[in-house]
Amino acid sequence: MEEKYGGDVLAGPGGGGGRLGPVDVPSARFTKYIVLLCFTKFLKAVGLFESYDLLKAVHIVQFIFILKLGTAFILVLFQKPFSSGKSITRHQWIKIFKHAVAGCIISLLWFFGLTLCGPLRTLLLFEHSDIVVISLLSVLFTGSGGGPAKTRGAAFFIIAVICLLLFDNDDLMAKMAEHPEGHHDSALTHMLYTAIAFLGVADHKSKVESWFSLITPFTTVIFFVMILDFYVDAICSVKIEVNKCARYGSFTVFISALLFGNFWTHPITDQLRAMNRAAHQESTEHVLSGGVVVSAIFFILSANILSSPSKRGQKGTLIGYSPEGTPLYNFMGDAFQHTSQSIPRFIKESLKQILEENDSRQIFYFLCLNLLFTFVELFYGVLTNSLGLISDGFHMLFDCSALVMGLFAALMSRWKATRIFSYGYGRIEILSGFINGLFLMVIAFFVFMESVARLIDPPELDTHMLTPVSVGGLIVNLIGICAFSHAHNHTHGASQGSCHSSDHSHSHHTHSHSDHGHGHSHGPAGGGMNANMRGVFLHVLADTLGSVGVIVSTILIEQFGWFIADPLCSLFIAILIFLSVIPLIKDACQVLLLRLPPEYEKELHLALEKIQKIEGLISYRDPHFWRHSANIVAGTIHIQVTSDVLEQRIVQQVTGILKDAGVNNLTIQVEKEAYFQHMSGLSTGFHDVLAMTKQMESMKYYKDGTYIM
Amino acid sequence: MGTIHLFRKPQRSFFGKLLQEFGLVAADRRTWKILLFGVINLTCTGFLLMWCSSTNSIALTAYTYLTIFDLFSLMTCLISYWVMMRKPSPVYSFGFERLEVLAVFASTVLAQLGALFILKESVERFLEQPEIHTGRLLVGTFVALSFNLFTMLSIRNKPFAYVSEAASTSWLQEHVADLSRSVCGIIPGLSSVFLPRMNPFVLIDLAGAFALCITYMLIEINNYFAVDTASAIAIALMTFGTMYPMSVYSGKVLLQTTPPHVIGQLDKLLREVSTLDGVLEVRNEHFWTLGFGSLAGSVHVRIRRDANEQMVLAHVTNRLYTLVSTLTVQIFKDDWIRPSLPSGPVAANVLNFSDHHIIPMPPLKGIDELNPVTSTPTKPSSPPPEFSFNTPGKNVNPVILLNTQTRPYGLGLNHGHIPYSSMVNQGLGVPGIGATQGFRTGFTNIPGRYGTNNRIGQPRP
Repeated sequence: MEEKYGGDVLAGPGGGGGRLGPVDVPSARFTKYIVLLCFTKFLKAVGLFESYDLLKAVHIVQFIFILKLGTAFILVLFQKPFSSGKSITRHQWIKIFKHAVAGCIISLLWFFGLTLCGPLRTLLLFEHSDIVVISLLSVLFTGSGGGPAKTRGAAFFIIAVICLLLFDNDDLMAKMAEHPEGHHDSALTHMLYTAIAFLGVADHKSKVESWFSLITPFTTVIFFVMILDFYVDAICSVKIEVNKCARYGSFTVFISALLFGNFWTHPITDQLRAMNRAAHQESTEHVLSGGVVVSAIFFILSANILSSPSKRGQKGTLIGYSPEGTPLYNFMGDAFQHTSQSIPRFIKESLKQILEENDSRQIFYFLCLNLLFTFVELFYGVLTNSLGLISDGFHMLFDCSALVMGLFAALMSRWKATRIFSYGYGRIEILSGFINGLFLMVIAFFVFMESVARLIDPPELDTHMLTPVSVGGLIVNLIGICAFSHAHNHTHGASQGSCHSSDHSHSHHTHSHSDHGHGHSHGPAGGGMNANMRGVFLHVLADTLGSVGVIVSTILIEQFGWFIADPLCSLFIAILIFLSVIPLIKDACQVLLLRLPPEYEKELHLALEKIQKIEGLISYRDPHFWRHSANIVAGTIHIQVTSDVLEQRIVQQVTGILKDAGVNNLTIQVEKEAYFQHMSGLSTGFHDVLAMTKQMESMKYYKDGTYIM
Repeated sequence: MGTIHLFRKPQRSFFGKLLQEFGLVAADRRTWKILLFGVINLTCTGFLLMWCSSTNSIALTAYTYLTIFDLFSLMTCLISYWVMMRKPSPVYSFGFERLEVLAVFASTVLAQLGALFILKESVERFLEQPEIHTGRLLVGTFVALSFNLFTMLSIRNKPFAYVSEAASTSWLQEHVADLSRSVCGIIPGLSSVFLPRMNPFVLIDLAGAFALCITYMLIEINNYFAVDTASAIAIALMTFGTMYPMSVYSGKVLLQTTPPHVIGQLDKLLREVSTLDGVLEVRNEHFWTLGFGSLAGSVHVRIRRDANEQMVLAHVTNRLYTLVSTLTVQIFKDDWIRPSLPSGPVAANVLNFSDHHIIPMPPLKGIDELNPVTSTPTKPSSPPPEFSFNTPGKNVNPVILLNTQTRPYGLGLNHGHIPYSSMVNQGLGVPGIGATQGFRTGFTNIPGRYGTNNRIGQPRP
């Protein structure tokens, strides 16, 4: 009944035409092979369930010996390897020997697994065809497995394994603990076991009363699991595609394994069982559980996906047309993209890059210190089994992510300009500063929410563990503050004419070694232009404030028992963090919005006034000046001149004036009346012509003006 | 409120400014709709947060953050209306279009940071799994889902719609597209809904709700409390997957990068420009997107000494104007101080040329830099990399041979003979120019290598 069901269902999609995709051979021809394959797989499942029963009676080594012997006997009879075909060389004999040893070990493991976790789980885990395993490995380890479908398949596979491991209620472990010999607590085997013990023979399972009664089961196992499967697999992989073969095969195996897992001990399947058992006991071992069903479904899905033909190479790039006019594609795409670089070399190179410059070096050292502290904390947490320590360690790791981002930004900002990043990567620092600012705001928000919640309902705190941890964190962060504020002053000295910074720089020096963070919180507000370092600094500052807050609140709680102190402290800290971040975010926003750099505003106004006075200049339009990154201030301007001056001289004068004003990446477009005439001649759009004539009008007006002058 | 008078006052409180700017937008009816939705969103979020703390479920919290993200997207929408109203100010000379981009970037980054917090929390929860109460879980899920979908479908959010179209697909979308391709093979009618890509926000809302439903089911049936944490991680990962491409896209706009999809077109135009008559090379190309869509850029074009600058400028502008709306082209000539090549009508001009403009001799430093054989100075920097896009912004102005202090005027007629002496040099330079022209026809065959090779080819007369 089941095999009919399986065969029908499987023949359905195979036989039904009208599928999308690449052109297929009409699949009606395959139907008989598919039915054959499914039937064989079904029988194989029967055989494995049978062998599980057998293994309860027979020792595993003897079982495998008999199995292999019987298989070899039949195969030698059919294949006649010695009498027909070429003679085997000595080299081949060695290979055969190796293969045999490996095969033995694998089947030993296989059947040992079978005894341990039952036929259903063994089938689910073991019966995967080669291509499924290969494509799984290629997804997991090469990264270019072939599209999202394969990734999904691999994810399903992993989920299935996890389901089997975690959510399966097969209390294997408990049983293993009860019976050191293995698990034979099914009443039947137990009976057998006691019978053996009663007979007084040595405690060896293999001593079965009559080997004769085992002939039928052994024959079925040998025939179903080994011989039939071998031949049918061989035929099917020749006649139909390998992936189809794999798909249908594994589907049938898993489905029939599920069915048998439910019905094996049921009276319905009595006639299937070769081992005649008098008494039916409702088996309690290795029954179906929700986890197994879910994982079987996931296994089926993943086998289905992973064995489907790889869609790789469909992303070919069109290179041209053949003489016949058919398009030619290049499918070699990703073979060229992977430049092999050994990992130690890569690490060495990037370390060298990091240590080259001051900013990234400082961040890197501090990151190392922070990580060290975190791992010590985590280690102690695991050692002493303290959840508070572990969660604090995770919190530190989380904070490290901001440092990592700062490090990356500092590293990337030195990359050479490319086509896409035509000004260079310097602006990444500003973006990173902005993200760090947002990060801090989010942190402040969460701390605020938490403290408000605690203010309403102050919890009882266990304070004795908090103090050493927070003191350690405080020390680490203080080191960071010292290092960064030092770097800060350096960059601060380098940046010129930043109007905010001058009045704060003194407080900076005086407070830089005090442990009270408050004096600092406004210090970096107008510091150097390196937003990235400012973001990192603020982050460290926020951490320090957190440690200080914890210490203060701990003292208050221990001395006076004020449990309200803790939320109040964190409330205060949240507000402090928030206020200290605002200037950073504001500055970064202004740069990102291409604002006229505030510190150059006055000079640029003067410069534009000076430009007005250049001889032969009528007017200028579209003056755009913006800060691109810490050391690039870019500008573009359009200048209209009278038709009798030399453009290059104007360019030179304007360039000089604007360079003095601090713009170092400049583009000047010098326009004469002739330009507008040309443009109105060239452009066909009515709108453009209108705009151009307007420009010309204004020019004429100015020209008149100048002529009068 | 009297907006115009208030606008004049330089010192106003922050809230006053905000109120005044709001007055600008409030005229629109859509604004009020957005505000209405915002108010509903706030109440909804409040309820959800309450339910989050009552159920103690982190998956619901992760889902609530999506509602908060909706609030941000409403704000972005409001900002985009404001941006449409505002004109460029002298300080923000490019206008406020970028504010839209910044808002999109900030909200996507905030969503990701929220997801990061969820990840951190759930790692901590794996260590110590608290009990989850399912009471309000399903209610919360459906309230959030229906509200999110309602907002998403009833408000036309221009910036987010654009970004979600323009950014690369998230992994979630890819998987759904991959799945639905096979589904649409069976039911072709569905292809309009699922293909080529689903709206990422709708997708993540549905997927999150689905995960929450599974959580509810498993907790109800089996008390698997760990499922809650797992689905929180799943929602956080999906949030990452959805938001990451969008923040990359908007971040790249903020970083003033050339959008990759226009590079092909730009190349073509620049190649055309470099083959214009008189153009020697194109360099210092900077093209970047101003807001979503509009391209801005600047480029330096080196031309032959006898070419008509205004003519070339007009042609270059005309070519590039089709793609780049805010364009600045700097034309420069090497050695412009010397008179141009005496050929045809220009030769007749030489006389009045010299009496009209007194051509000053470049200072000695300038002469020293010149190689007497070539008409172009050797480039001070290292030879440019294979593409002239690569020329970084630092060596912007190779034009300057004079410093600004030397006034070119007033050097007087006593240098009047100099043009003639330099004309001898010019005679040597002629074959160089000829070689350039000959070369240029050659290098048009090499795509992407314009403008740099002729520099190498030139010194060989």
